Amino acid sequence: MSTGKKILKFLSSMQFAVILLTVLAAACCAASFISQGQTYEWYAGVYSERTAAIIMALHLDDAFHSWWFVMITLFLCLNLFFCNVVRLPQLVGRTKKANDPLHVIKGPVTCSKENVRDPELLIQKMHMPKARTVQTEDGKTILFSQKNTAGIWGAWVCHLGILLLIAGFGLGQMLKQEYTVYGVPGQTKQVGDTSYWITIDNFETRRNPNGTLDQYITELTMRDVSSTDGTGKSASVTVNGPASMYGYRVYQNSTGWAADMTITKSGEVLQEQPLCAGEFALVKDKPELVIYLNAVYPDLIAGANGMPATASEEPNNPGYLYSVYYMNEIIGMNILEKDDQITIDDYTVSFHDPQNYTLVQVKKDSFAWLAFVGGMLTLIGLLLAFYLQRSVIWAEKTDKGYTVYGFSPKAGVLFKEQFDEAAAEKE
Amino acid sequence: MESLERVLFTAVLFTYFAAMVLYFAFIAMKKDNLSKGALIVQAAGFLVHTCTIVVRGIAAGRLPLTNQYEFASAFAWGLCLVSLIFIIRFRFPVLGAFAAPVIFLIIGYAAMQSKEIHELMPALKSTWLGFHVSSAIISYGSFGVSFVLSIIFLMRDRITAHGFLDEHIPSRQKLDLISYRSVALGLLFLTITIISGAIWADRAWGSYWSWDPKETWSLVTWIIYAVYLHLRIRRGWNGRAAAIFAVIGFICVIFTYIGVNTFLPGMHSYA
Repeated sequence: MSTGKKILKFLSSMQFAVILLTVLAAACCAASFISQGQTYEWYAGVYSERTAAIIMALHLDDAFHSWWFVMITLFLCLNLFFCNVVRLPQLVGRTKKANDPLHVIKGPVTCSKENVRDPELLIQKMHMPKARTVQTEDGKTILFSQKNTAGIWGAWVCHLGILLLIAGFGLGQMLKQEYTVYGVPGQTKQVGDTSYWITIDNFETRRNPNGTLDQYITELTMRDVSSTDGTGKSASVTVNGPASMYGYRVYQNSTGWAADMTITKSGEVLQEQPLCAGEFALVKDKPELVIYLNAVYPDLIAGANGMPATASEEPNNPGYLYSVYYMNEIIGMNILEKDDQITIDDYTVSFHDPQNYTLVQVKKDSFAWLAFVGGMLTLIGLLLAFYLQRSVIWAEKTDKGYTVYGFSPKAGVLFKEQFDEAAAEKE
Repeated sequence: MESLERVLFTAVLFTYFAAMVLYFAFIAMKKDNLSKGALIVQAAGFLVHTCTIVVRGIAAGRLPLTNQYEFASAFAWGLCLVSLIFIIRFRFPVLGAFAAPVIFLIIGYAAMQSKEIHELMPALKSTWLGFHVSSAIISYGSFGVSFVLSIIFLMRDRITAHGFLDEHIPSRQKLDLISYRSVALGLLFLTITIISGAIWADRAWGSYWSWDPKETWSLVTWIIYAVYLHLRIRRGWNGRAAAIFAVIGFICVIFTYIGVNTFLPGMHSYA
């Protein structure tokens, strides 16, 4: 056998599949125990510097996107692909042979019974389809019944499904577009670098009578500014209720607190805008001066160690943790309570009207359908393999009645038991 | 309703315990009639358990499949159902003697969990909840049965030294086939669990696969059973090696259910 053929044989082998699956399972286990996406310093703090170095060197900080994980997956795809390519002609041949009674009756037998008077009744008791009459080459007449030949294709269809699933997931990961848009009602923001803009028309946090959370509902309008039609499309988005607009899916992702910020200069209102927690604003006529809203505490209290905390999600006593930067250097950080102001030279900054902002996720994954088809094929393949197990019964006329033979490559001893019971009942 | 549920749940605990004792007595006293009694008590326990779940569902006003208590109870229910089917279908009462302690352990774990009824968080309010969790219950129940069958397979030669068990435990070949049937059922339903979970995750979280620890461990479980299936058809590896993988697979199932929630919190932390 040539080296190329040897490599192809190994790549398509079940042995290679078992090795790959075991390595993949071990890799997933290891990765699940290591917090993903952290920094070297974080790992060094939690484990040790040596362990942190190993984690970073082996890319265990982002294991599921690491080169070695991608390689394992690629080899698995190669294995599935070559396995299916090699097995396709074999399966076509097996299916042809399985559908040829003259070939089947020359093959292996799982069980048999002699001197059966009414083979059709036995076939019926075995829940087999009605037998047909077949003439053998030597002129004998046999009764032949077969079911579930499609089961032969189960593993092949399942492998194809997994291959498509991995391909759909991989392509989706590489080529998907994913953006987040957040804001309070009335704000309009661009969706990433696309030509689409989203206006938050309304945002509601619906609660149950006992105060627990029921649902987040964002009403929004999406517009394509490159289109002459400026009307846009409106939709309501909830958790578990995404909207489809312009080929994108819009998901209700999360929420947080925001507040209206007012900046005055020498007593005149210079700037008014909503600011979400974690967002910053440049002072209009002095962009090197930046106001950053670290957090909003709707019901401010002193928490553990005197750190700010919130007593409830009701805006009873709002507090605003802010930072001020000048020329990228932090020059102040404090908490503002109701009616407090920050004064920096001629500028006065204040926060008021705390409110929830909404964060929606805007996504386009053009290959999700491929992953879905793959998933469905995997399921169909498993159904075929597990529940359409091929069974054959045929009966040959003899002097004392019929000799009935049964064959079921997968059900084996269970098929034989069922056959023997049905035959015994007959007796 | 909640007090009725507690009474029924206590009855379930006692009935499953009684079934376990009867199964043990059947083996110890070598009396076939006791196995019939054990099977009847197990079936009665299953019916009471079904009523408990229904009452819980009415009290909560939703499918009772969302927290550790509810899922543990449903897991024991699924294992009881699948084991009953396999005991009856394959006329194998010894399976009950091995399955009953596992069922009792799981229902015991449920008894230790908080039974308080909470409102569902928005992510759980979905019609996919029913498909996703109920398929997981059947899947876990089937894997539980395959675990028990594999243990019997591995111990067969030691426990059949005296004639009574030898008569009541099928041949290794048949045990392997029955175990394969339960793994097949489990894997099919685990695949439905993963696919329905992915569709639901896409609607709720905007991503059908996020490598969340629960997702990852479900995949690990799926892979372990896929290896089991490959080993079974490979000459020289079937039988013992496959049975060991079925045992490892069930350890993964238990870790996916309890271990992940305890040690690896993620987006499934409520389950």
